[in-house]
Parts: sequence; structure tokens; C-alpha cells
Amino acid sequence: MTHAATIERALLAVFAVGMVAVPWLVPALFNQFWVSVIAEILIWSLFAASVNLLFGYVGLLSFGQALYFGFGMYGVAIGIADFGLPFWPAFALGILAAMAMALVTGIFAVRLTWHYFAIITVVFSLIFYFLALTNKWLTGGDDGINFTLPPTFQLGAWQLSFTDATFQYLFILATVAFCFWLMHRLIQSPLGKALLAVGDNDVRAALIGLNVYRLRLIAFVLAGFLAGVAGALFAFFGRYASASYMFYHVSGEAVVWTIVGGAGSLLGPIVGTSIFIFVREVVSSQWEHHELIVGLVAILVVIFAPKGLVGLWRDWLAALTEREPHAKDRLQVEPTSKS
Amino acid sequence: MSEPVLHIEGLTKRFGGLSAVDNLSYTLAGGRLHAIIGPNGAGKTTLFNLVSGLLAPDAGRIFFCGRKISGLKPHEISRLGIKRTLQIKSVFPRLSAAENLWITAQAENRFLHPFRAAAQDRSIAEKVDRTLERVGLAHLAHRQAGTLSYGDVALLEIGMALISEPRLLLLDEPTCGMSPAETERAVENIRAVARTIDIVIIEHDMEVVFEIAADITVMAQGAILASGSPQEIAADERVREAYLGRPEDEDYVEEAAHA
Repeated sequence: MTHAATIERALLAVFAVGMVAVPWLVPALFNQFWVSVIAEILIWSLFAASVNLLFGYVGLLSFGQALYFGFGMYGVAIGIADFGLPFWPAFALGILAAMAMALVTGIFAVRLTWHYFAIITVVFSLIFYFLALTNKWLTGGDDGINFTLPPTFQLGAWQLSFTDATFQYLFILATVAFCFWLMHRLIQSPLGKALLAVGDNDVRAALIGLNVYRLRLIAFVLAGFLAGVAGALFAFFGRYASASYMFYHVSGEAVVWTIVGGAGSLLGPIVGTSIFIFVREVVSSQWEHHELIVGLVAILVVIFAPKGLVGLWRDWLAALTEREPHAKDRLQVEPTSKS
Repeated sequence: MSEPVLHIEGLTKRFGGLSAVDNLSYTLAGGRLHAIIGPNGAGKTTLFNLVSGLLAPDAGRIFFCGRKISGLKPHEISRLGIKRTLQIKSVFPRLSAAENLWITAQAENRFLHPFRAAAQDRSIAEKVDRTLERVGLAHLAHRQAGTLSYGDVALLEIGMALISEPRLLLLDEPTCGMSPAETERAVENIRAVARTIDIVIIEHDMEVVFEIAADITVMAQGAILASGSPQEIAADERVREAYLGRPEDEDYVEEAAHA
């Protein structure tokens, strides 16, 4: 293993321990409010991961992921409020609704690429946004649906639910971590390598015998899964669902978080999402134009760090730890590779 | 007589007013290394694009071992055993050299495992190692393909063609941009492969063409101008005129003399 990889592993371990310690550490050092901010960051990071899976790995820029986030939310809210489902079946309903929607829209969307793909994903999310807004009997429109949380685990009189803030945080952390682990496994797997190949060069991928359309559709449904889990968690976290989370502005934010953090790296979305939500929470109380900071940071990153902050960090780490052999490589490679 | 490997009838492809391939018929009996040459814009690459399914023909039909393949999708044609390389060298830059070969060997599997580590399949891993050895890239196995030199990328492309165990291999200017040493290695590889696999090669390097091809077809303006052994082609007046150039075109004369 290279030095850079060792350093990254060590940092990741520290980060993991820190994340688990949040419900005890953060109230002691700051206050309880920041625990819920971090829980929210985790959920939105998972949402950004769905953009990352499509854009960073398969090369499809979706501006419509909020649709599947919204279906995850409404699956949970309608499941609980209308059907009286317990926690887990409602969770499953949210995720399945998001994946089913991703499958149905994906069948059309992944026939297209680049800006056409981006546009059709926006169009789909707008259609369902307005449908959700106008069909108040089902969705509650802008007001949304409020519901009473069912317990997550129940054994006789003993029960655990999101009303316990520490449990709520740890449940969200565990679910998000599990999804990121799944994505990590996916990227290392045969299917993941095929998705990367499609993202790198779709014509070549078809010529070696990969079914590009089907691979894109699979990626789209998997991204729907990630967005759906995020949406379902957010519904439990907020105890409600609202059409406003299906608006394409929400999708666009996730695209910015992903690109700034580093599209095509597993943890990029976490970095980008953390920075922007922290900025929002810290600055928005002092200054109403905090979105200017978002824009400025996004522009700077796109110009000076096209691989995002994670890419910047990796290049810097590689240069620092492997300066000698790396420099030699460069001298050999660059003149020929440009021809 | 058995079915020809490749049989093309009346193939036509128009781009606007231009017929890139114009009512072309061609039969490849198989068993011999076949080269297609012709001036720029003769329709060679378009022909390959039609055979491999990247373009749909406006008219005509293509048969592979007696089976109609015109109208099929690229990955379906690939899965029947027709593999090709692209004129502009293209591998998967984010995958390592070994992973490029690996995904090519795996591409035809209908089921790609979503969660098991890709490196776990032993039999394919061995095939990948053998192929890396064969094209001389074993020392670069774990380098990201995007960081390889141009010549190494071209070798990797040949490796990808090899590992897919094709029945028919279409090579589009495989030695374009290679150093003399790399060209030699590539030619060696192509020769070795040609013993077991039918190959059609588009090539501009006349030295390479006359060195390896058993049959040469000359294309000009979307049609076949001449077909025959290297000696016949070299002696053909029409070919000299259409392809090798008019007397005042010194570069081509020089190249022809060299050949």
C-alpha cells in the first residue's frame, strides 16, 4: 500500500470514530442543535451520492434526483399516515417507490445523454413536482403530510424510536454508512467496473459487448435507491413529507455539492455537502445572502480543482508522499500521451 | 463450401449528399489476413462502423458466418464475435490496464456481480495475466490506463482485442502513431493472432500492409477499386493512380516506391 493510501485510511478511521462519538461529544463541546445538523448533513450526503453515482461514475448528469428523494419521503409519509404502516414497512415502501419511479423514468431518460439527459431528468421531476403540488388530497401539497413516528424497534413495553435524539442520529449514521459501504463494494465489483467503462467511453464499451443502455438503466435505478433511502430517512427525521423537496432546486444543490466535493470519488459528496450545510447554518443567521458564498466556492472549485476538493487533496497527498517516483513518471509519460 | 466469414451485399451509407459507402459488395472467405487500404475519405472507417453496428446502413445487408447482422446493436454484434479497435485509440482511462482487459473479458456475461470484488475470479485473472504478458504490458498492469503512453495504449487495445477471443477482428489503423519498435511488436502480435482469427485491417503504413497482408482490397470513394494479392495491387495501374497518387504527389510516390 502506498503512503497516501495509509494516510487516507488512518484519516477515515478517525473520521468514523468521530462520527460515532458525535451524540456525546458535540453536545458537550457545543450544543444539541449541531447533532441534528450533522444528521441532516449525513442524509443530504447520501442524496448527493446518488448524483455522484450517475455523474461521477457513469457520466450522466441528472438534475432530477429530487424526484426520487421526494418519492422516498412520500412513501414513508403516506405509508404511515394513510396506511398506518409500522416503521420498517414504511421505510421499505419509500425506498421501493423511489426505485420504481427511477425505473419508469429511467427507461426513457437513459436513452439520452449529456444535456438531453439533464433536461429530461429536470422535466420528469418538474412534472411530478407540480402533480404533487396540485393533488393535495394525496400529498398535502406545499403543507405536506405530517405524521406521528412509529417506534423503530419494539419489544413488549420497551421501544426505541427517533424521539430519542441519540438513537435517531446513530440510526441515520448507520444507514448512511451502510449505503456508502454498498456503493464502495459496487464500485469494486464487476458491475461497477462496467459502469466506469460506460462512463469513460460508451462507444468502446458497446464494442467490447457491454449493453450500455441496460447498464445506464441499472445505474439510474441504483441512484434512485440511494436518493430514496435519503428521502425516507429525511421523512423520519422531519416527521413529514412535502412536495417542496421534489423541486429541481433541491436536485441542483446536490449537483453542486457533488462537483465541489469531488465527482467520481466515493467521499466527495460528503465533503461537499458538509461544507455547504455548515456554511449555511453558520452564515445564514448573520447574512441573508449566504448563497453567494455557495456560488463563489462552486466557481472557484470548478476552475481551480476540476476533480473537486477530494481530487485536490489526493493530488496534493500524492505529490507530498511520492514526490520522487511520481516526478520521474511524469517526464516519461507526458510528451507521448499528448500526441 | 462453408459460409464466408463476412459477406456484404450492396451496402450504402450516405451522409447528406455524400455517399461514404456506395453500393459496396464484399466477401471475406476467411483464413487470410486481409487489409483494406485507400485514400482518406474512401469510406474505410465507415465500412467498419457499419459492420460493427455503430452506424445503420441506408441500404444493403451484412452477413457474418451466414447470419444477418445489419440492424443489430453494437453490443449484440460484439457478442457474436466481431471485435474491433477504434482509429483513435480508446481504452477506459479510469480503469487500470489489467481492469481494461478484465472488463473486456467479462463484457459478455449477462450477469455482472454487483457486490463481489472484481479481482476475485481466478480463471479470468489468469487470462488477464497471460494477455498482459503477451502484449508486453505486465509491468504496467496496475497503472491507470489514462496515464499510459500512446504506444502502450495501442498495445493495450490489441490486448483487449485478443482477450475477447473474437472470431473476426477489425483493426482500424492499429499502428498509427506508434514508434518503430512499438510497430514491430504490434505487427508481431497481429501476425500471431492471424493464425487463429480472421483479421481485417485498415492501415496507412504501406510497409506494414505489404508485410502482413495476404489479400489487399483498395477502396476509393466508397467503393472497391481493386482486390488481390500484394503483388497484384502493387502492379495495378488504377490503384497507383487513385490511391498512391498522381506523379506530382511526391509523398505518395515515395511511399509506393518504398513498398
